[in-house]
Amino acid sequence: MSGQRNRSPEAELGLLDASMIGMGAMIGAGIFVLTGLAAELAGPAALLVFVLNGVVTAFTALSYAELASAIPKSGGGYAFVREIFDDFPSFMMGWMLWFAYMIAGGLYALGFAPNFIELLHVYGLSPAPDTVGTVAVPGIGLAVPPGLGLAFFAVLLFVAINAVSTAASGSVETIFTATKVTILLVFVAFGATSPMFSSAEFQPLFPAETGVYALLPAMGLTFIAFEGYDLITTVTEEVKNPRENIPKAIFVSLAATIVVYVAVVSVAIATLGADGLAAAGEAGIAQAATEFMPTGLPIIKNGGAIIVFGAVFSTLTALNAVVIASSRVAFSMGREGQLLPRFGKIHHRYGTPFAAILGSALVMLGSVALPTQSAGNMSSLFFLLSFVVVNGAVIKLHRERPDMDRPYELPYYPLPPILGIVLNLVLAVVLIVFLVRTDPLALLLSAGWLGVGAIGYMSRDRLLPSRRPEDEPSPDAVSEDD
Amino acid sequence: MTGNLRVIIAGGGRVGFQTAIHLADRGDAVTIIEPDGETVDRVADEWIATVIQGDATNPDILEQAGIDRADVVAGLTGKSGVNLATCLAATELNPAVRTVARIEESDGDAYTELVDAVVFPESAGAKVAANEIAGSDIETVADITADVDVMHIRVAEGAPAAGKQLSEVRFPSGTLVISDGGGVATPELALTAGEQYLVAVEPDVVDEVVQLFHG
Repeated sequence: MSGQRNRSPEAELGLLDASMIGMGAMIGAGIFVLTGLAAELAGPAALLVFVLNGVVTAFTALSYAELASAIPKSGGGYAFVREIFDDFPSFMMGWMLWFAYMIAGGLYALGFAPNFIELLHVYGLSPAPDTVGTVAVPGIGLAVPPGLGLAFFAVLLFVAINAVSTAASGSVETIFTATKVTILLVFVAFGATSPMFSSAEFQPLFPAETGVYALLPAMGLTFIAFEGYDLITTVTEEVKNPRENIPKAIFVSLAATIVVYVAVVSVAIATLGADGLAAAGEAGIAQAATEFMPTGLPIIKNGGAIIVFGAVFSTLTALNAVVIASSRVAFSMGREGQLLPRFGKIHHRYGTPFAAILGSALVMLGSVALPTQSAGNMSSLFFLLSFVVVNGAVIKLHRERPDMDRPYELPYYPLPPILGIVLNLVLAVVLIVFLVRTDPLALLLSAGWLGVGAIGYMSRDRLLPSRRPEDEPSPDAVSEDD
Repeated sequence: MTGNLRVIIAGGGRVGFQTAIHLADRGDAVTIIEPDGETVDRVADEWIATVIQGDATNPDILEQAGIDRADVVAGLTGKSGVNLATCLAATELNPAVRTVARIEESDGDAYTELVDAVVFPESAGAKVAANEIAGSDIETVADITADVDVMHIRVAEGAPAAGKQLSEVRFPSGTLVISDGGGVATPELALTAGEQYLVAVEPDVVDEVVQLFHG
């Protein structure tokens, strides 16, 4: 599937561009939105949380690299699993991944709103985020918190853009990513040289009451910050020498992302302190920046505004990426006959997977009503579960198709996929236990989504017993070209 | 409701490889079976198909290529015997699969008792060669393939373009609907499900055009 209208005939994305796509999808909202929340759970150990998550993700990244090199399909995780597993498991994989992306959309929109209000606040256009009350919506007589309204509007905007125009190409993504990374590097540079940094306080590393176990739920919550390198596998057609560059790009983007995260989180904790960071919540990084960035600059006035702008920009580009990613999953599932066939059709006028985008938008808009932390938890949970399946796919493929050509073969098979499965499962279980105690709503909604999917799948099979995509008559496109 | 095929091609040499490229352009999922290591690497570099290294007549290799879910198996190696054996083994493993075998002589119609279709690629190649030799200004449709594919495409029931007028459908740039068989197409031409249309398409957007016509 290619939504691009003006796709260049030549493969044009090099290793750098492909890595930038992965980094762009990862470094976005996660770091800006979730650092504060991670600090709330784990204290200064939030730093360790990001490092460990990077390590856990690395095992799954190896699996993605092998699958992407062997199966030249630009559909990401669902496409691989669909290739290897039976109908029901592959349906559930798609169903989970679709949900993960949609909830991530809600999360990014929720992360965008407070940062945007903070940006207005820096220029004195609005009061501080936590002092803003509700805004009455004229005409309806309904009072909505402005953050919620903003988040809702942001989702609507990007859904509309993507519904009527095809996706931006990789080179635009490179500019976006470079912008985001530059802003973060500015943050790190100023933070590390500020007087606040030299008096940094990382002790006690772990929160007194929970100790080292506080790491695990915080890892679960922030796991989503490392989601996104799989988007590299959705642009394979445009990458030069893909069988070498795709695995490399996955590793490069993951390694670079870990480095950036470690630097940013260290600076944030050192300057604002874990408690201050926790208090700032979704706008943690932005608020840390306003503490030490120089003020009185021409035009932008306050240097902190650059960082706040970075947060707004990152959450929006990440939102855009997941609007595209979620609709692609729904579209692929529709084409495979695993969702309403309508989802698998491109619009005759716009050339976009119109129905898939609108379908995804409904859930995304609904998820905006969730607390940010619930959205983060649910999205992380579903990514963890789908990554378990991806690692399982590698093992299944080795057993069933030993003679398949694997241009990139992961080292020390079967250790990495097994570790990937175990570690992702551990985090998923810890997250579920954590949710039982703190956030039953998120757990209930997650279970509900899985239940609806399973029941929907069963009843579809009952209603249409013989309707399987394999039974469709072959299309009769007759090419006269040879 | 997929408009795309799952195809297994035996042989990643010149014919099998080029065929895979055309199918991948249309969005079909291709798996190539090829015994030779160097050829496997060359195909893998192009990133168009999953490759299974092995002998296509071996049922185990066909299983690994996903014969149980395949729509079509095409034996496109240079040897008729291998191609026919592949097709027969494939039919044995999955009776519903459509089989296509490349043969070495032009009059291979008798083989259609064993397989669903036969191809003799040399005939198409010879046509191109003859056209080049003659250097004529008028060439048959088959030769302009480098930049434009000219295809007959049937509109499927329920496809995005079905029942729409040509002016209503926004095709990707690089597409020209030439004719419905009854004359040169006008903007008012209605795209009717079940009818065939002659369409010129640049290779990059073939998959998108096929999606519009097929859903």
